[in-house]
Amino acid sequence: MTIPTGPRHRVSRVEARGGPAPRPDRSAPPRDDTDLERLLALVARGDQDAFEALYDRLSGPAYGLVRKVLRDPAQSEEVTQEVMLEVWRAASRFDPARGSPTTWALTIAHRRAVDRVRSETAAADREQRSAPVPSAVDDVAETVEASMDAEQVRRCLEGLTELQREAITLAYYGGFTYPQVATKLEVALGTVKTRIRDGLTRLGNCLGRSW
Amino acid sequence: MRLFSRRVHELSGAYALDALDDAERERFERHLRRCPACADDVRRMTETATAMAMAMAAEPPPGLKERVLAAAAATPQLPPLTPAAAARRRPGRRLTRSDWFPRLALGLAAAGVAAAVVLAVVTVSTQNRLNTVQAQNQQIAAVLAAPDAQIVTGTSSTGGTATVVLSYAEQKMIFTSSGLPRLPNAKVYELWLLSTGSARPAGLLPQPTDGKTAPVLAAGLTSADKVGVTVEPGGGTSSPTTTPILVMTLPD
Repeated sequence: MTIPTGPRHRVSRVEARGGPAPRPDRSAPPRDDTDLERLLALVARGDQDAFEALYDRLSGPAYGLVRKVLRDPAQSEEVTQEVMLEVWRAASRFDPARGSPTTWALTIAHRRAVDRVRSETAAADREQRSAPVPSAVDDVAETVEASMDAEQVRRCLEGLTELQREAITLAYYGGFTYPQVATKLEVALGTVKTRIRDGLTRLGNCLGRSW
Repeated sequence: MRLFSRRVHELSGAYALDALDDAERERFERHLRRCPACADDVRRMTETATAMAMAMAAEPPPGLKERVLAAAAATPQLPPLTPAAAARRRPGRRLTRSDWFPRLALGLAAAGVAAAVVLAVVTVSTQNRLNTVQAQNQQIAAVLAAPDAQIVTGTSSTGGTATVVLSYAEQKMIFTSSGLPRLPNAKVYELWLLSTGSARPAGLLPQPTDGKTAPVLAAGLTSADKVGVTVEPGGGTSSPTTTPILVMTLPD
C-alpha cells in the first residue's frame, strides 16, 4: 500500500468530483483511547510497565511518521527515541480535553520531526531531498492496522482538489511551512492557508470519525 | 479587529499541521487561548492529522525499545501542572483525584522517610512497582535500623538544606532536602559520592514539592566519601559539569 504523497511526488492531475463517500463504520477495530488514557495516567506516576505497554502502542505510528518527514532511518530512530522519552517525561501534562493520547503523542512526534528537518544542518541537504529518491520502503505502511488507515487516508486524499492535497501533504509529510508550500506550488500565501484549512476539514469529514 | 481575528483564524489548518514558523506559532497560540471556536477547529484538524500519521505507521527498528525503556528509567518526570495552572488552562474544570493525588503523595513522602514507607504502599498501582518500592523501603529501613546509623545536615550555597542518614555498615545513605530552589524543566539536581579524584553518580533528586525532595537512596558509600549535589542538564550526567552547590563531609 503506497500513498502517492510527499514532497518529491507530483500528485496525478485528477480533478476531484465529490470524492469517496464518508465511511463512518470502518471495519477496523476501534482504537481504545480510554485504555491509552489509563496507561498514560499510570506512566505519569512513574509506572515503567505501563510505559512499556504504551511504547508498544505508540512507537510504530511515531516512528513511521517521523521517518516519513525525515526520510533518514538513523535520524528517524534518534528522533523517535526523543519523542518516546518526552512521552515518559511529560505524561503528567497530558490533557484529555485537548485530544486523545494518540493525538498528543503524534503531535509531539511531528513537532520534533519538523524541528529537526528545519534545523540548519538538515536544511543543507534539503534541496537534494526534494529530487526523486528511489525508495522501496518509504511510503509503505508496514502494519496491518496502518495499511487499513493508509487505504482510507489515500482514498480521502484523492477526494480533495489537487491544490488542497498537495498543500496538505507538503506541509504535513514534507515538514514545510505554509510560506514554503506557497513558493513550491507557486500560489499566493492566503490561498495556501485557506486550501490547507478547507482541505483538512474535507479530509476529516471523509474519514468520518473523530478519535 | 474583526478582520485581524478572522485572518488569524485562517491559520488553524496550518497550525494543526505544524506549518507555522516559531514566531507565528506563538502568536497563534496566544490567539487560541482567547478563542474557544478556534480551539475546537484546531482539535478537529489535529485529529485529522493524526489519521494521516497513523497511515504511515511502521515497525520501529529492533533495539529501540530497550534503549527507550532504559533511558526512561533514568529520566526524571515532570510534575503535573499545579492545580492553579491547570485551572487557568481549562476554565471551569474541576480538580480530579489525579490532579492533587501525586502532589499530595510527593509532599507527604518528603515530610519524612517513615511517611514515605506508608505512602509508597498507598500510591503503588502495579505489583511490579509495589515490589520495587518494597525493596527500596526495606533498604531504607535497613539504613535507619543500622546500629551505626548517623545523621548529617548541610547547607546549599544556593539556599536550602540537606539531611543525610547514613550507615557505613550498610554502605548506604538516604538523602533528603528542603528549600532547594526550583530548577527550570531542562535541569535537574544530581547527587554524587565524591572521593579524592573521583565523583560517582548517586542518583537524581526528584522535582521538589513544597520545597522538599523525596528520599533518594544511594549505595556504595564509604567513609572516604563526601556527598555533593550539582545542577545538571536533563537526564543527569556521568560526571559533574558544574560546581557543586552543596558538599557534605561525612563523619569517620
